[in-house]
Amino acid sequence: MQVRPVDPAAQVSIEPSALRDALTFLRDEGFDFLVFVTALDRPAEGVIELVYRLFSYAARVPVVVRVRVPRDGGRVPSVCDLYRTAEWHERETAELFGVEFSGHPDPRRLLLPDDLEGYPLRKDFTHPNLKPLPEVSAE
Amino acid sequence: MSEAPAPDLSTSDEFLLNVGPQHPATHGVLRVVVTMDGEVVKDLQPHIGYVHRGLEKLFENRLYEQIIPYTDRTDYLSAIANNWAYVSAVERLLGLEIPKKVEYIRVLMAELNRINSHLLWLAAYGLDMGAFTPFLYAFRDREEITVMVEEASGGRLTTNYFRIGGFTRDLPASFFPHLQKFLRRFGRAVDELDTLLVENAIFVARTRGVGVISRERAISYGMTGPCLRASDAPLDVRREMPYSIYPSLDFEIPAGRNGDTWDRSWVRIEEMRQSLRILRQAAEGFPEGEHRVRVPRNLEPPAGEVYSAVEGPRGEVGFWVVSEGGRKPYRVKMRKPSFSNFSALPEILRGLKIADLVAVMGSLDLVVPEIDR
Repeated sequence: MQVRPVDPAAQVSIEPSALRDALTFLRDEGFDFLVFVTALDRPAEGVIELVYRLFSYAARVPVVVRVRVPRDGGRVPSVCDLYRTAEWHERETAELFGVEFSGHPDPRRLLLPDDLEGYPLRKDFTHPNLKPLPEVSAE
Repeated sequence: MSEAPAPDLSTSDEFLLNVGPQHPATHGVLRVVVTMDGEVVKDLQPHIGYVHRGLEKLFENRLYEQIIPYTDRTDYLSAIANNWAYVSAVERLLGLEIPKKVEYIRVLMAELNRINSHLLWLAAYGLDMGAFTPFLYAFRDREEITVMVEEASGGRLTTNYFRIGGFTRDLPASFFPHLQKFLRRFGRAVDELDTLLVENAIFVARTRGVGVISRERAISYGMTGPCLRASDAPLDVRREMPYSIYPSLDFEIPAGRNGDTWDRSWVRIEEMRQSLRILRQAAEGFPEGEHRVRVPRNLEPPAGEVYSAVEGPRGEVGFWVVSEGGRKPYRVKMRKPSFSNFSALPEILRGLKIADLVAVMGSLDLVVPEIDR
C-alpha cells in the first residue's frame, strides 16, 4: 500500500579508499556545497555507514555519497582540504560514532566533554542519564 | 571541547585573549581563544559544545510527533523554520499531500518569523556596536509579530505550532486584520531601521570592508543564508530547492557585492522588505480549505529516508530523517546554518583588529543552541 519514500538525491555507495577521488571528482563537476557529513550505526551488520550529502548550486541537484566502514577501527580519509566545512562535520562524526578520519588537521573533540566514554550516537551507547521512553500502547 | 594546543608565547610578543564562554557579544555560551599580536588577531580558536544536549540521540527515543517541540529549542529565534523543516521531512516519509491552505499559513508564519528574527539580530547587533536606540525600535515592531504568532499558536517564542499534516486549529479571525495593519506600517519601519543603524555613518565606518569572505570560500565553508548571500551569491533554498508555494510567489533574493560585514547587515534589511512582499502576496491569494490532513493516531512511516530543508533566517535548516519502520525514527540529523557559518570565523577574522571581533561575530547572527544541538 505504502511506497518507499525516495530521496530525490542520487545515491552512490563507494569503498573508503575511493572516497577522496570520488569527492574530488564531484567537487570539480560543480558539487561545491557539502551540506553535511554524518553517519548511521548498523550494529546488525557491524558497520558504520558514513553519509556525505553534496549539492551543486550550478545544476541545483543533490547527491549522496555513502561509505561503509567496520564498527571496530573504522577509518576513512579526511576531506577537509576539499571542503572546508568538513573539518567540523568530521570532528563531530568522529566523536559521536567512533570513526577515524585519517589526515584530519585537528582531530580534537568538538562538542562532547573530554571525560565522556563511548560514542553517543551508536545504538549500544549507554549512560546513566539516558532512560528509555515508557512504551505507549497502540490504540 | 578539548583545549587547542597553546602557541609558544615565550619567544614572541603574542598573547592569548579569552572571549567567553560568558560574554555579552557571544549571545550565548561559546568561547573563542584569540592569539593576539598587539591589537591584531593572529589566530582564533572557537570552542563550542557548552550547550550540547545530545538532541539527535534523544530523538531516537521519541515518537515522531513528540520531536516537534524540541526542534523549537534548537533555534529559539526561528522556531517556525525548524518546525517546518522537521514536519515536512516526516510528511514526505508518510507521503502526505498537504492542502494549499496549510502551505499558505506556513509561508505566512515563516516570513513573519524571518522578519522577527532579523529584527532581533538588528536590535542585538546595534547593542554590540554601541547603538541603543535601534533596539527599542526593533522591539516595538517585534511585539506586533509576536502578538500575531501568539494568537495563532499560543506561544510567543518557542511556538511548537506546526503539526505533521497541518495545524491543530485554523488561523484566528483576528489574524488578518492584524497582519494588514502590520503590512501597512512596517514598510516605513524598515526604512527607519535602515537609516538608524545600517546607513549610519559610524556603523558604516566600522563595517565597510571589514571581515571579507569570498564567494568560493563561503561556499566551501558551507555558509548559507544572509552570510553567504552577502558574498555576491544570491543562493537561497527557496530558489535552489523550491518547496511549498514559493515558486508561485514573486520576490527577489538580495545579494551583497563585497562579502563584508556591512553587506551581511544590508542583506538582512533587504530580506525584511522581500518578506513583506511575500506576506502581501500570501495574504492576497489566501485560499479556502482545510487547515490539516487527517493522519493516523499512531504514526508509523515506512522504512526510508528523507532530507528536507527550508530557508530559515540564518540559512539552510535541514532535517535528515531515517525510518526503519516503527513509531520512532532510526536517526535524525539536524543540519543547522549557524554551525557552518560559525566555522568560518577564524578565516574571516585573521589579520583584523580585536575591535572587529564583535562586529564580525555579530554579523554572523549566531544562535548557540543550534550550533551545539
